[in-house]
Amino acid sequence: MTGRSAALSRPIARRRGGAPRATGPLRGAERRAGILFSLPVIVLTGALLFLPIIQTFYYSLTSWNGITSKWVGLDNFRQMVDDPVFWRVLLNNAFLLLSIPFAILIPLMVAFLLHQHVFGWRVFRSLYFLPTAISWVVIGMVAARVFASRGILNDLLAMVGLRADLLTNEYTAMLAVILTFIWSVFGTNTIIFITGMATLDRDIYEAAKVDGAGGLAIFRFITIPLLMRFIQFTFVLTLITGFTALFSLIFVMTTGGPGYGTTTLEFFVYQKAFAQGVFGYAAAIGVALFAIVFAINLVQQRLLRSRED
Amino acid sequence: MGATDYLRRRLGRALVFAILCVVTVVMLYPFWFMLVTSLQSYSQYLNRSGFSLDSWVQLSDVLPLAQQLFNSTLVTVSAVAIILVVSTMGGFAFAKLRYPGRSIVLLAIVGGMMVPLQSIIIPEFVNIANVGLINQFQGAILVYAALGTPFATFLMTTYFRGIPSELIEASIIDGASYLSVFVKVMIPLATPALVTVAVLQFIQIWDDLLIGLLFLQTPEVRTITVGLATLQSSRIINVPVLMAGSLASAMPAVIVYVIFQRYLVAGLTMGMRK
Repeated sequence: MTGRSAALSRPIARRRGGAPRATGPLRGAERRAGILFSLPVIVLTGALLFLPIIQTFYYSLTSWNGITSKWVGLDNFRQMVDDPVFWRVLLNNAFLLLSIPFAILIPLMVAFLLHQHVFGWRVFRSLYFLPTAISWVVIGMVAARVFASRGILNDLLAMVGLRADLLTNEYTAMLAVILTFIWSVFGTNTIIFITGMATLDRDIYEAAKVDGAGGLAIFRFITIPLLMRFIQFTFVLTLITGFTALFSLIFVMTTGGPGYGTTTLEFFVYQKAFAQGVFGYAAAIGVALFAIVFAINLVQQRLLRSRED
Repeated sequence: MGATDYLRRRLGRALVFAILCVVTVVMLYPFWFMLVTSLQSYSQYLNRSGFSLDSWVQLSDVLPLAQQLFNSTLVTVSAVAIILVVSTMGGFAFAKLRYPGRSIVLLAIVGGMMVPLQSIIIPEFVNIANVGLINQFQGAILVYAALGTPFATFLMTTYFRGIPSELIEASIIDGASYLSVFVKVMIPLATPALVTVAVLQFIQIWDDLLIGLLFLQTPEVRTITVGLATLQSSRIINVPVLMAGSLASAMPAVIVYVIFQRYLVAGLTMGMRK
């Protein structure tokens, strides 16, 4: 906001203030400084981020073992489409996608409760955000015990006479990963929503209460619509986390199994490349992942823009 | 009538408080589990009773704890330092200096934020191996720095845009160089944003597994997070020892979190400003 207004005021100030800036040696100095100051970021990201992207695209079109590569055109992509494992893996990503509404709705409801500012709400807020600081490795290690046959989950279920060995079944293991994922993003999403709620006009709530709206009606008809921008941001953030940041969790918690039960696209890239050494095919999967994330971002930006217009 | 209304309100707030308490238990259980389990020996863990420091002693036998904590600190702090220097310089240039190609470079770097690590990790690994930096701290540090830089640069650019340009222009007309404006005017003003970037990146790099796993493979150069993950995959270490290791690896990032919490929150919401 402030950035935009500063940018707008600049040319006006220049025209009004008599000193003719941006001519002769001063302008050249600014240009030189600009190039020099942005050089480090260009060199660093160019060599270690943008070059590898181009290489990934190139190598996805080759048969490559890390040392010698042979041009094979679209063969890797053909192989991918014909690979039943690829579709099995994609199904896991679809499960993740389906879990996103829960990863948003639960924090949204809790943020709404926090926003009632009951006794100690600031302490609650800090405690909920705490897991954000711990690594996926640690989270995965604890989660594996929570869902184990003698873990807390089964202790609790035993009280009502039930059992659940989620991690030992090819399909329920993904459920365990997803529950852990929802737990992990809970803090971040709650903080985003509580920040969003703080920006809302308190008068609207007061007016709604005067009109006799209950808590649920306020949540459904005022909070959610007014927070749409925050919900969208959180959706993308959570989805990208789910698709690109769960490697460590899966590595520690399930190593992708049982079978391919918890192998997502990003884990599949790692397996293909570093466990099986088929770098060309792995690069093709990497390209597919890149395309999916890119598409999600594009759709999101379209949505945001159309809403602002 | 007024009295029952008051009662209903109190009851509602008590209910909200109770729900928030339940959520707290769910969120803190892992910390509790780690702590309690790490204070048991394996047999005590199986019997679910008794306490001892056996597992902590055993942990220091199976994991070069001090060495790996040092490695983590070295790698994380170096990478964060590089990120800070590079992103502040870049952010200053993108926000405040006019030169050809500026907007396209900024667009590319912001776009770099959404590149999934897995999509570039293979060539990255091969490139670093080709220059002989596998198992060298420099290799991992550079990769961490490059991956953290786009988001940091985005945050710094956003922040610098909020600083009035008149401050710079006045100094330049008085004959100051851009370098001295940057060092003497911009850096002091940007301190809160610098702390935010540093804290966000510190936690992210400290907690990372994949880069460490691939680029620092031998036990002597491993970071603590990688050391812990490899313990787990060796499958011989028992649960209490693993929980002691988890706690040891998590503590530094948790401490940084507790001290700098408000900067973290600021960073999250700063990411939303367009």
